[in-house]
Amino acid sequence: MAERSISAKETVRDQPNASQFLLNVSNLRLYFKTTKGVVQAVDNVSFSLGRRRSLAVLGESGCGKTSLARAILRLLPRNIHTFSGEIVLDGVDLMKLDEERFRREIRWRKLSFVPQAAMNALNPVLRVGYQVAEPLIVHFGLDRDEAFKRAEEVARVVGLPVDFLNRYAFELSGGMRQRAIIAMALITRPELIILDEPTSALDVLTQANIMNSLKKIKQEFDVTYILITHDIATSSELADEVLVMYAGQLVEHSPAARFYKTPAHPYAQKLMASVPTLREDKTLEFIPGQPPSLINPPKGCRFAQRCPYRFERCAEDPPAFSLDGGGVARCWLLAR
Amino acid sequence: MPENNVLLSVKDLHTWYELRKFGFIRVGYVRALDGVSFDLRYGEALTIVGESGSGKTTLLKTILGLVPPTKGVLEFAGKKVDASNLLWLRRQVGYVQQDPYGALPPFMNVRRILLEPMVINKVGRPAEREARIREVLEEVRLVPVDDFLPKFPHMLSGGQQQRLVIARALVLNPKLIVADEPVSMLDASVRVEILDLMRRVQKAHNLGVIYITHDLSTVRYFSERVFIMYAAKVVEKADVRGIVHNPLHPYARALLSAIPDPDHENAHRFKDVPPGEPPSLVKPPEGCRFHPRCTQKILGLCDREVPPEFEPSPNHFVSCWLYR
Repeated sequence: MAERSISAKETVRDQPNASQFLLNVSNLRLYFKTTKGVVQAVDNVSFSLGRRRSLAVLGESGCGKTSLARAILRLLPRNIHTFSGEIVLDGVDLMKLDEERFRREIRWRKLSFVPQAAMNALNPVLRVGYQVAEPLIVHFGLDRDEAFKRAEEVARVVGLPVDFLNRYAFELSGGMRQRAIIAMALITRPELIILDEPTSALDVLTQANIMNSLKKIKQEFDVTYILITHDIATSSELADEVLVMYAGQLVEHSPAARFYKTPAHPYAQKLMASVPTLREDKTLEFIPGQPPSLINPPKGCRFAQRCPYRFERCAEDPPAFSLDGGGVARCWLLAR
Repeated sequence: MPENNVLLSVKDLHTWYELRKFGFIRVGYVRALDGVSFDLRYGEALTIVGESGSGKTTLLKTILGLVPPTKGVLEFAGKKVDASNLLWLRRQVGYVQQDPYGALPPFMNVRRILLEPMVINKVGRPAEREARIREVLEEVRLVPVDDFLPKFPHMLSGGQQQRLVIARALVLNPKLIVADEPVSMLDASVRVEILDLMRRVQKAHNLGVIYITHDLSTVRYFSERVFIMYAAKVVEKADVRGIVHNPLHPYARALLSAIPDPDHENAHRFKDVPPGEPPSLVKPPEGCRFHPRCTQKILGLCDREVPPEFEPSPNHFVSCWLYR
């Protein structure tokens, strides 16, 4: 693992070109079978993510952002209807790997995951330190002492006091448990870490502390983050790029510098206008109506029913238009 | 209405929970609320901001009469609240819960949910009740009313469920609404809608509102006065502008600087947040409860004496020795 991080440092730190993309997702579809019909949780999503970039996936509940993460990780429930498309991580087409190879070669080694509310999923009868070190023992065959030494190093990085490793989960506060989970995701030095709402259940100060740690980790280790969240203000703490999902589809993927000032897609604009700000006076807006059902979603643009700029063309499915200054958005208004 | 215009008066309220070992040996108390005093006028909206464990929910439960106060006095509309008039109190206080789906009985439809408070409190005749149900549903914009009446909670979206919870809180024409994080479970786009609704209802009926939240950024869209709680005490009381633009207590400052506004620059900055966690409420620290985490503490004072309330500028109260 040490070799990897050295070679990775030699690559350019700027906007990567195509060959440097760590993750390439194209035409990803994930549909679930339910008693009411087929739910199109992720529908034709394509994006690329460069090394050491962090991507914030934003969207409201039910828009498919967690399903997107689960599809990349291949942590899927049994009621799959369709799972197709291409996911290329570091040159390896993940869709071609069978379950066993995926488990051995990808999970933990290249890809790790901090699930939602994971801090409540720590094993209550094992010491936290063992749980942090376990991936090394299981996946890399390290012996206990060595694995524990590494666990201590990682604990220092995430801001978890080293003596906490000898405690049990119930002796730790929520923030400390979340740090333990992040340490666990980091210990195998994966290239990509997917964080699903890492701070949503935590207090404001704890949240700020964890965000600080995540930023520090990003500077010190060569990691790429995918941060899945509905909290737009918090997402701006980590994001280099922003991907907005609506009703199972990607609607905008833009560099963060542009997105937080001038989002391109009408949905993203409305979403930004609904975020309360502390320091700046603005009139808040809300989006009337509800997202469509993902069982038989409407044809054409899925946001059309709630969109103030709707016109005839919205009945057709909008392709991804590229935007000035990088990024894409799927909206007919951008057609020229 | 009493001449001083005070709807709810809280004086030196303490709520301690007993800690027991093996179910009967008393080993101490959790001081969930330790000396809180304030007055709420008719038609006034007050926000209480605090982290989990700061005692904000206990304050609310004590006001609702769900937990008896250990010490202190609670007066509602000029009358002292005790065990004998709890029913009278609860008829005039509406409660908006945090998790709308959890707060609505899944086996009752909208009509039944709104009828229930009136049945329990023996209010009105059937026709009047029906009319009142329609009235509140229109008020919270669950229209057309006839479509919503037979629906069950699971058939409603999150925002609609929260509207129904607000309708239920309003159905008895209360004078005070207490809302415990009413929007924290909702999506950003719906949040504003619900806050707007609560604000409109408050103005229309001149309701007193106590809004409890951990999210300071929604506060300015909702109320005039803000209290900040830390470790079972109110540390700062001020109007919204005072808190947002000129926070005085070191904890309030940390809290404000920790809240991000959506801005790309955040990604390149580290936040200046105090390390550590709020103290245990079983054995709170001597003196100021924030002193173990405070960067500006005065040794020999902050760790010995409990700071009283100072008023460095008019109507801006802070419990911190820096302002003595």
